Amino acid sequence: MIRRTIAIAALLLAGCLYFSQAQSFSNSKARAEAFAKLPDWSGLWEFDIWTDELDGQQMGPEGMSRAKVYAAEMQATFTPAWQAKLEQLKKKADAAKATDASDPPAFEEFGQFGGCGWTPGFPATMLPGTYEWRVTPEEATLISLLGSVRHIYTDGRPHPSKDELWPMSQGDSIGHWEGDTLVVDTVSIRSPVYFPGLARGVGVPFIPMSNELHSVERIRMVNHDQMQIQFTVEDPIALAKPVHVTFNWHRVKDINRMEQNADDCDDAASDRNPIVNGRYRTIVKPPPATPTGPTGR
Amino acid sequence: MSRVLNYSLVAIAALLMASSASAHHSHAMFDTDKQVTLVGTVKEFEWNNPHCWIQVLVPDPKDPKAPPVEWGVEMGAPMQLIRHGWKPGSLKPGDKITVVINPLRDGRPAGQIVSAIGPDGKPIGAVPETKSK
Repeated sequence: MIRRTIAIAALLLAGCLYFSQAQSFSNSKARAEAFAKLPDWSGLWEFDIWTDELDGQQMGPEGMSRAKVYAAEMQATFTPAWQAKLEQLKKKADAAKATDASDPPAFEEFGQFGGCGWTPGFPATMLPGTYEWRVTPEEATLISLLGSVRHIYTDGRPHPSKDELWPMSQGDSIGHWEGDTLVVDTVSIRSPVYFPGLARGVGVPFIPMSNELHSVERIRMVNHDQMQIQFTVEDPIALAKPVHVTFNWHRVKDINRMEQNADDCDDAASDRNPIVNGRYRTIVKPPPATPTGPTGR
Repeated sequence: MSRVLNYSLVAIAALLMASSASAHHSHAMFDTDKQVTLVGTVKEFEWNNPHCWIQVLVPDPKDPKAPPVEWGVEMGAPMQLIRHGWKPGSLKPGDKITVVINPLRDGRPAGQIVSAIGPDGKPIGAVPETKSK
């Protein structure tokens, strides 16, 4: 009786294994076919304002001239009520800057910008640093040097229902392919957003927007060395009309790997630009070295 | 009242995406209209994120007997510097170096790097034209 039970169990187990493998094989074949239809966006990419950046510290002249073009394209017209709100913000920012130009304000109250470990939310995810795409049939994932990971689901799912959404740094992005173009729809983006071109005169990197902020991007590889991201940003409460801007990314050829820009942030001594009382401080002289462990950290 | 705020062209570029490639912090503390040339000896070369730093001991040419002043030179992140030809071993303590910096506005001895010439008399780091376009 026991032998018979064991034999039946073994048969059932073998059957389960066989069918799960067969199912897996079938899925692999379907996925391979789906993969074959996707564009190859492998490699490293960066926003073209950094083409001639200077030793990792400042934009070069070419980048500056491109930045001015983008800035003009991004200029938004706000609703009168929102414009008044921005004017108030500008007064506050001007006052903060006038207090001490040597220690620039970090504008923490507007959404902290920078500092060790800062990762950009949307749409900043599409702006500074080096990027890498992972394109699969189910989602396109954008990984940035600054540590942000943006998930764009392309498996046909809709946005979650409103009662399951809350303002998130990357928002909620779903996408679909129109040929080689990835069309991305993003909602539920946390305010303020790091999209300074929208309201340049305000003088802060983060701009408050309403919960109705909605973005549509059309992303495609124009040629082997260039990607294009067409943004349409609308916000019926904050913006009098939608903003359209097209960013260009170029392929990075002089390095072939990514790292995390913030990966030494667990070592306080490596952050020599701490934010103190809402202002960036510069540590001129590093603190004395502390004994390190076997890993050197 | 115009719905579009007034702005200056300088502010556009500075505010569009942050003028720092690392986007780690504001760079308003550096006076980009000024350049200071430091001629001295490397005390330390910090190769770490989010910024690399060179500590340089700079003697006073008018008073060689006075103790040298230690300057801090802020650079980009390691991977950005790799792209310009810098390496973790590009400098070591004791190396003679000439560095051009944009100094801090508050007068303390530090600034952000503009260019550097190493102990062999050659520039360290590639000029921008050699980067990928």
